[in-house]
Amino acid sequence: MKTFALQVRALVKLSFLELWRRNDVFALVLLGLALMVPLAMASPFGSAGASRYLDEVALLLVWGFSLFVSLGAGQRLFAPEFEARTIYPLLAKPISRGRLLVGKYVGALAASWSALAFFYVLFAASVLLRGGSFSSELCQAVALHFAFAALAVALSLLGSLVMSASANYALCSIALIGMFFFGRNLPEYSEGLPAALSWLVKAVYAFAPHAEFFDMRQRLVHGWGGVDGLVFAVVMLYAFAYVTALLSLAALVLRRRRL
Amino acid sequence: MKGERTAEARTAQIAELFGASALFVAVLTLFLSVSLRQLHGRDAFPQVVRGDGALAVAFGDAREVLGRAMVQKADSYFHGGIDMDCHEAHGDEHRHHDENCEHHDHHDGDEAEAQDEHEEHGGSFDPWRWINSRVRAPRVHRHLEGEKSVELIPWLWASVKADPHNIDAWTTAAYVAGDMMKDRELALRILSEGEARNPGSALLRYYKGRVLYARGKGDVTAAKSTFATARDIALLKCGGRPDRLSEEDRRAYDFSTNFIAGIERREAGK
Repeated sequence: MKTFALQVRALVKLSFLELWRRNDVFALVLLGLALMVPLAMASPFGSAGASRYLDEVALLLVWGFSLFVSLGAGQRLFAPEFEARTIYPLLAKPISRGRLLVGKYVGALAASWSALAFFYVLFAASVLLRGGSFSSELCQAVALHFAFAALAVALSLLGSLVMSASANYALCSIALIGMFFFGRNLPEYSEGLPAALSWLVKAVYAFAPHAEFFDMRQRLVHGWGGVDGLVFAVVMLYAFAYVTALLSLAALVLRRRRL
Repeated sequence: MKGERTAEARTAQIAELFGASALFVAVLTLFLSVSLRQLHGRDAFPQVVRGDGALAVAFGDAREVLGRAMVQKADSYFHGGIDMDCHEAHGDEHRHHDENCEHHDHHDGDEAEAQDEHEEHGGSFDPWRWINSRVRAPRVHRHLEGEKSVELIPWLWASVKADPHNIDAWTTAAYVAGDMMKDRELALRILSEGEARNPGSALLRYYKGRVLYARGKGDVTAAKSTFATARDIALLKCGGRPDRLSEEDRRAYDFSTNFIAGIERREAGK
């Protein structure tokens, strides 16, 4: 167990350093600033006092950036190792493929979460600078967002083992962004479609990752209050189950892969 | 040597052919442009971007869609962040909307309870819908009121920036400023800006009169003359025949007439 913990720690450290050395996060922050500063300085029709739109845009950027970071972190876990053939010395150490997968996943997750926490700190700073305040639902929103990042990293990791990097990015982005914006309306879309297509849409609704469950932006922006404890627990359980299923599939693919 | 000459000759031929094709396309475009403009007026090429600015160049006619989406967003803000799209299936029967999407007065229903009832009546239990209805719906449906309505202004501003010819967006912005925020100066500023972008709009002029009138507490004389000019603008556009008024101009014409009649009754009463 101690060996496993040490191995995971080493892998976490590696993933962490890799993410922050790549400067992706800083580039995203600069992009965010370039979008947010002119918006914050605008006074629509010469009126002042509106702030919710800024919160909404800032949160949308946080979601977009975190998705980018999470998918990238998941994608970079194994593909470069296979390409550079560094997977051989890695597996030559006394570490099983399953442990390697879990260790790398935890590392990528820690890196994604650190970036997400950084984005939320910036968001909080922007709200405080404008004289705003936070309510209790912020903690729930952040926790659900962290769960979403865990799901995105796991999905990207599985994708990286079965397809090329560009295909993985594209498919994962389409699945998560599509579900984020349209997931809850899929049953309505399926009505009136030809039978086969309707079944396909219903299957997507049943099995695709429901990214929209983790979205508490409207609650934060409009001060609706937090979600019920039971609902929060169910969503967390959903994320845990989905991540477990994705990692199990990834472990299966990795075990069967000829190196 | 002979081969080089043949290649040069071929290149010259291709260049001539290319030049002739370009000239043909240019002449044909010019001819079609002139003849279509004569036949159908300025709307012969609806894909041609009208207006200026980066948005016009980037989005073209998609600006109208963008503008409507921004108005919808403002409407969602008015309802405290709830998307009031009437086609949304989530708790349809508890939307408190009638067939014309008009809002009723009572909005304090629990959306999650509504969903439970929907499931009871609708049949099979859908766990994903159950989660969605609880994560994405507030316990109480509240409207933005008073000074807080300023939160709607940026979306309406974005809407008219995207599509300056969206008259509804201008009038909604003026309504929010004048009636909800009680800021008449802001409302008048919005309408003046709207008129500058849409010089022939009778509806904007009528709305200006309405803001000036301020339920009889404002500048009634200025309001009356503004209503009169709104009516004149509408009549001018239909050649003085009210039966040929467009729906938008009809609204401006009828409401202006009613307001003028009301003001005259008040003046006679004094």
